[in-house]
Amino acid sequence: MNLRSLSCAALLSLAAIVPLRAQPSFAGPMPSRAVVEGADQRRREYLDRIHEVLAWRAAQPVVPTATDPAPVDMAAICSRLALRQDAARNSRDVIKYMQDPGSGPFWMFPVVCAAYLGRDQLTPEAQKSIRDAWRSQMQVRGDTENHWVMYYSSLYLMSDLYPGEPGTAWYNGKSSTENLNESQEWLLQWMDLSTTVGQGEFNPTHYIGEYMIPLTMLATWSKDPAMRQRAHIMIDWILADFASNTLHGYLRGANSRSDDNSVLERWNALSSFFSWICFGQTPPTAGYGGWGIYYAAIAENYTVPEVIYRIAMDRGGDFEQHNLKRTRRRWRYSDVLFAPVYKTDYIRDTYAVGSNQGGALDSIQAHIWDVTWDVPDPRGVHNTMFSLHPYSSGAALQMYFVAYPEPWIKGVTFEGKPSYDSADKILGPSPYEQVYQNLDTVIALYDIPPDTRFPHINGFFSKDLKNVTEDKSGWIFAQGGQTFLAYRPLAGYEWQEYVGYATLWVPERGKGKGDRILQSPHLKNGTIVQAAAASEFKDFAAFQAAIRALPLEFKLEPVPTVTMTTLRGQQVTVTYGQAPVVNGATLDYAKTWKLFEGPYLNAEKGSRRLVITHGKLERILDLNTLTISDQIRE
Amino acid sequence: MTKIHHLLLGALLAGLVPLSAAPQHDLYIAGGISKNYVIGSKIVTTSGLFLRTPEGELKPLGYNDASIVALAFDPRDSRVFYTGALNGVWRTFDGGASWRITTGWDETEARDVCVDPNAPDHVYAAITDGVITSHDRAQTWARLEKGLPARGKYTQTVEVDRTKAGRVFAGCEVGIFLTEDGAQNWRCVFPTKRMVSDIQQSPHDPKFWVATTQENGALLSHDGGLTWQVAKGVPTEKTIYNVAFDPTNAKRIALGSWTYGVLVSEDGGATWTARNDGLPGARAGWREGIDPGAHSVWRVGIDPDNGRLYASVTEEALYTSDDFGRTWKKAGLEGSVISRFVWITRAAK
Repeated sequence: MNLRSLSCAALLSLAAIVPLRAQPSFAGPMPSRAVVEGADQRRREYLDRIHEVLAWRAAQPVVPTATDPAPVDMAAICSRLALRQDAARNSRDVIKYMQDPGSGPFWMFPVVCAAYLGRDQLTPEAQKSIRDAWRSQMQVRGDTENHWVMYYSSLYLMSDLYPGEPGTAWYNGKSSTENLNESQEWLLQWMDLSTTVGQGEFNPTHYIGEYMIPLTMLATWSKDPAMRQRAHIMIDWILADFASNTLHGYLRGANSRSDDNSVLERWNALSSFFSWICFGQTPPTAGYGGWGIYYAAIAENYTVPEVIYRIAMDRGGDFEQHNLKRTRRRWRYSDVLFAPVYKTDYIRDTYAVGSNQGGALDSIQAHIWDVTWDVPDPRGVHNTMFSLHPYSSGAALQMYFVAYPEPWIKGVTFEGKPSYDSADKILGPSPYEQVYQNLDTVIALYDIPPDTRFPHINGFFSKDLKNVTEDKSGWIFAQGGQTFLAYRPLAGYEWQEYVGYATLWVPERGKGKGDRILQSPHLKNGTIVQAAAASEFKDFAAFQAAIRALPLEFKLEPVPTVTMTTLRGQQVTVTYGQAPVVNGATLDYAKTWKLFEGPYLNAEKGSRRLVITHGKLERILDLNTLTISDQIRE
Repeated sequence: MTKIHHLLLGALLAGLVPLSAAPQHDLYIAGGISKNYVIGSKIVTTSGLFLRTPEGELKPLGYNDASIVALAFDPRDSRVFYTGALNGVWRTFDGGASWRITTGWDETEARDVCVDPNAPDHVYAAITDGVITSHDRAQTWARLEKGLPARGKYTQTVEVDRTKAGRVFAGCEVGIFLTEDGAQNWRCVFPTKRMVSDIQQSPHDPKFWVATTQENGALLSHDGGLTWQVAKGVPTEKTIYNVAFDPTNAKRIALGSWTYGVLVSEDGGATWTARNDGLPGARAGWREGIDPGAHSVWRVGIDPDNGRLYASVTEEALYTSDDFGRTWKKAGLEGSVISRFVWITRAAK
């Protein structure tokens, strides 16, 4: 069975393909990055942004299709319901929409949203049409973490809305009670897993909506106050993690899942919608990211905690954060069901460096490391640098999905992952990549078997870099924004134009914009990147001189190994296949990495308890006691 | 019945009318036309189960689900059957009019399901992380996995020995496992490099079994599955997807493979020949540019009434051959992927 069960990036976009009529913040000037000090004003601005989304979506004209002169869509219905506009039309549209119901979690949660928003607005006939669809239309559960969060949140809430009904009243033959119980069981174990060993789909550029929206629905509408509280804790947990990973509003690597466009234009992702609506410091994406409409429809029920707001907006200095995550479920060809992912982030005002340890993490869309620099306006800017081994493998897909190896290696390229099996791709993990990060130094080593499909590595050089200089020392120097960058390829290379991949967000391919790929056709290979703020040096030449002066030794045989002193004075030795040695001590990730560790977020492994701090502000999320406690630290 | 159904039935009439006037078996097909379906989009085609009527039409039954990959019947009552799908194991007691997902959240993506003909209340299902067993017609399930490895028990196929209650084979990620006590204890009877994709018992000789694999080609057993030998002449580099015995001819066996297409043996598995002339073959095939040398065969089956060979060519069509693969003709179900051909003896009703 070659059911294409991976893609939702395309579906994300489907929701966003609507005429961009006067979408104010998308096309407007850059929002201010200034911290809004007053709670009332923050709340007022948050509500204003919500209203902007709903008003814009509700006002979009109906666009006839080839088969329907007046198609209806659930985003418009939910926007009008949230605004309490046009009740008669909403009921008519709901009835029409339910005549041809869809299947799966992306259909389920918008319908749940309308069902609850419309409890006191939709006619009995319209409400009945929704109810009937949940009896007659089979719903596919999906096969990823975000699918299941959406599926079980939706099923929970619909079972909650229609309690006491027998199995014959539901598409799956289970009673309301059975559905509620099963949904709760899964949701609780997912929350438990995420708060003890880490989230699987961590820091995704697009999928944050698939968590925030269902959880906000649960936190708002569950009858059970304990479930409401659990969902609230998880919203805060995910939003705090997200806030600490942004650079002035846009999410950078590493990401469990990204796509061919947002991996280079870092701002252009649904995650930026959440930065905009929750914090206000970066523009939302086109169409408010599609799914953003649904968040807006319920967002009034959530108040962004000040401590999280300030983590996003008011860093006050450089910081390093270590977080523990996990892979998604590995069904086969692995000794473990979940593999640990050790994340490192170092974030400064003008740039950020992020990574995990590399390897076969996720199957398709993982983004392992990058340096991302800040720009005054991120729209259209490719403000990032990284390298990778382009890897595709039927066996790797089998690890995470119930696929046969042969069809899927190309099949996924039709499912929103167009670059998966391409030599010039710039997205995805490789089992032959090992990464170590120390503050703003990244060492990525590669040991690629000779029979591997793509026997080379790709380094991404943005069109937006300035002063790219191939130095005779072997370093390549460049400047991105107010960040100086030094990129050291460990083997010979050639330059290629990077022409991009067509996505629904960015439909053109083959129109080079000036991005380049540094392609190095050597199996034993490596990349060193050192970043620094321009303000640290007298000029670019001084930065180059400092880099040239760094003690550096490397060899590629029998395996790549690098010994260097970083710009920050750290002595590191990284050998492929071995644990890094830092200032003479061998790094043990398993012993060293906590669930969260840094100035803002701290949690022990297995704790179910996250301490969020900023200055004197502290919020403690405790899933053990189902408490959220705020305090002012002395 | 929708317009789509009528279109399907019209196409099916071209190739599925039985050779004999009065077939002794009902044909059920599990599959679907899932082109362009991704999780969350509307299922715009008819998918799931189809039943061939005596007139040769295929009648959709059950729920519309492009993810059904397995189908098994209660031998006492063909109105009782089970499907394996992305959501788990479904069950109907009324011939597909009403259904229930019998599994919970921790049993997902069922790959196969089978019923013990000698203990028909006992149902076994292959899932992504092992084997689940029911002793009450899938009302409840248990993990009876003693002897299966802690890891490496991704299970693609389960098959019951029709000669003895509780004797079941599981095709796992790391080998063929056998229980002889209804899943109380399992043991590995043949380790494999990678996944076992199908296991079937000969309808002529209950001691003769054939298994297909991802990297071991086809495996033959002549002692009831206690020992297995790699079939000579069957390539091993790529996956063999399934095996079908010809109930009308003890010497005929067919294999289906994405890469190799249809492989047949007419001497009981001693030698094998590719029979792909007339199939779409090395072509643009399943989506332009993908694996252009592959035949994209997803499943083969053999009609017990007449020995007709069926091959599902992925998202292309169903093909049939009345000369055991020497020639093929398109037989409808354009754009389909078929995961199961199941023939049920009419007398069983």
